Amino acid sequence: MRYNRMAIVLLLVASLSHAQDAAPSEREMIQQLVQQVKALQEKVTVLESQQRAGDPANADATPQPVSPPPPQAADKPAQPASFLQELHEPRGIQWRGFGEVDYKVLNQRTPELGTYGFVPGSHGNFYTGDFDLLLTARINDKASVLSEIAFGEGEAQTFSVDVERVLFNYDYNDHLKMSFGRYHTGIGYYNRAFHSGTWLQTTADRPLVMEFAHDGGVLPTQAVGLSFTGSIPSGKLGLNYIAEYGSSDTHLQNLAEAGIDDEDNGNHVNVGLFARPESIPGLQIGGSIYHDRIKDRSHESEASLGQTIVNGHIVYIRHGIEFLNEGFLIRHAYQQSSTVYNMPAFYSQISRQFHRARPFFRYQYINANQGGFLEEFVLRHGPSFGVRFDFNDSIAFKTQLDHTMRKGQPDLNGLHLQLAYTF
Amino acid sequence: MHTKLTIALIAIWLAGLAGIAAAVAQTDDVAVVVSEKNHVANLTKPELRKIFAGEKRSWAGGQAIRLFVRAPGAHERAVLLKLLDMSESEYKQYWTAQVFRGEAQAEPVALFSNGMQKEAVALYPGALALVNFQDVKPGMKVVRVDGHLPGEAGYPLK
Repeated sequence: MRYNRMAIVLLLVASLSHAQDAAPSEREMIQQLVQQVKALQEKVTVLESQQRAGDPANADATPQPVSPPPPQAADKPAQPASFLQELHEPRGIQWRGFGEVDYKVLNQRTPELGTYGFVPGSHGNFYTGDFDLLLTARINDKASVLSEIAFGEGEAQTFSVDVERVLFNYDYNDHLKMSFGRYHTGIGYYNRAFHSGTWLQTTADRPLVMEFAHDGGVLPTQAVGLSFTGSIPSGKLGLNYIAEYGSSDTHLQNLAEAGIDDEDNGNHVNVGLFARPESIPGLQIGGSIYHDRIKDRSHESEASLGQTIVNGHIVYIRHGIEFLNEGFLIRHAYQQSSTVYNMPAFYSQISRQFHRARPFFRYQYINANQGGFLEEFVLRHGPSFGVRFDFNDSIAFKTQLDHTMRKGQPDLNGLHLQLAYTF
Repeated sequence: MHTKLTIALIAIWLAGLAGIAAAVAQTDDVAVVVSEKNHVANLTKPELRKIFAGEKRSWAGGQAIRLFVRAPGAHERAVLLKLLDMSESEYKQYWTAQVFRGEAQAEPVALFSNGMQKEAVALYPGALALVNFQDVKPGMKVVRVDGHLPGEAGYPLK
């Protein structure tokens, strides 16, 4: 206490001497400043009292919900509403583009599965892959339209247009979101997470099992019909569902003859469940079951069969880590002969972001039964590894090395360079 | 006379310092604000994360959530990125992917001032925004996060 008093006295003495030393002009300035401070204090007092008068709840200094403005003020912004709406709301058609330029080298001159756009017969060549235009439009708070149009490169620099997705979406609430139109089927995680945008993918290509059917893949990746998804009240488990019903009129690339086998099928049903637990943000665990009746025209006699695809996936994306794991069992049951083929497949991919670089590793596996209409896939498995480098938020360069072991054929090695961009 | 003046100046200076210190202490907290027409009173941090990640898109009752965020550089933006555990670059890429997947109609609108956020919250009944607590204005309803209001101990958005 004594020290406090001494400090105050010393402070006063010091300030007194300082004030006495001050020049007259400085003293005047100080007085002016003091007057200004007093004037400002008075103004603040007046403003505060005015505010209290117009809004009694504001007198409470506790951080309660801020009081409502006077009713007339709330109803007033009718005139500037349109201006504010323009300011705050993206209107009209929003569009976004995705593109890629690829260079690929294989140690063989024959066509290979999953090498979409790659011209067989050469060791290495450039191609442009998919050029995607994504158009979205908000109709109102609940309804919207999405379309994805892909310009794909075929053989000898010929291009074709494909409507990858065209969807009318209606979000009734978080528990029921509906989509009508052409969609990417919800078999597993990858197909609905990455669609056709290579820029979104860490790797330069899709895992072989997830390759689009028209590019030589094994799964019915596209369909026209109805799709429902939403959350299931499940507390911290974060359970979600997906249900699809539609026509997956898929075309499978016939590698040997470079032709197309048309699956003249009926409507498919696909149901899935996945959980995003609150306790581990970034984790998704789920599975789905898909069923359809299709026709196998790869043989002389046309055969009907039931196709059932079971998927399970565990995905973790957080803290710069991407860990994707999906397993499939593709079951073909021929009606006439009661023959059943079971084709297991999986891929596992891990990557980690280091500043702008993201090194990745992927291992994939497909084992098709001999005699089935997917027999050309045989047993294929092997690693891929490389690096994705993001120049900025829109341009990425990927380098990928693939080594594929094939049953009854020599191992296949490939180098894939890709410049992927979005705009 | 001089003594009184000096004492007054020192008092003003000390009061100013105290005010600045108090203001600095309070601006750390970022309030979660909604329209006054919105009945929500409390959100958990995981719920808030889901909303700002676009995973939860409707309020209870079906009203669509409209997200408004501050443009890069603002304190509220830093708090948002901390909540989502993303860098600025990851945030941009994340929303590009969300729109591409059809999980969102558009990236949340980025506004350049809290005044604009105030207008947006007043205009849209389903609006949700993060605002520096000091900038909360009439017309904005402050929502509790994990049961805490800004300024209270344990408030998670700083």
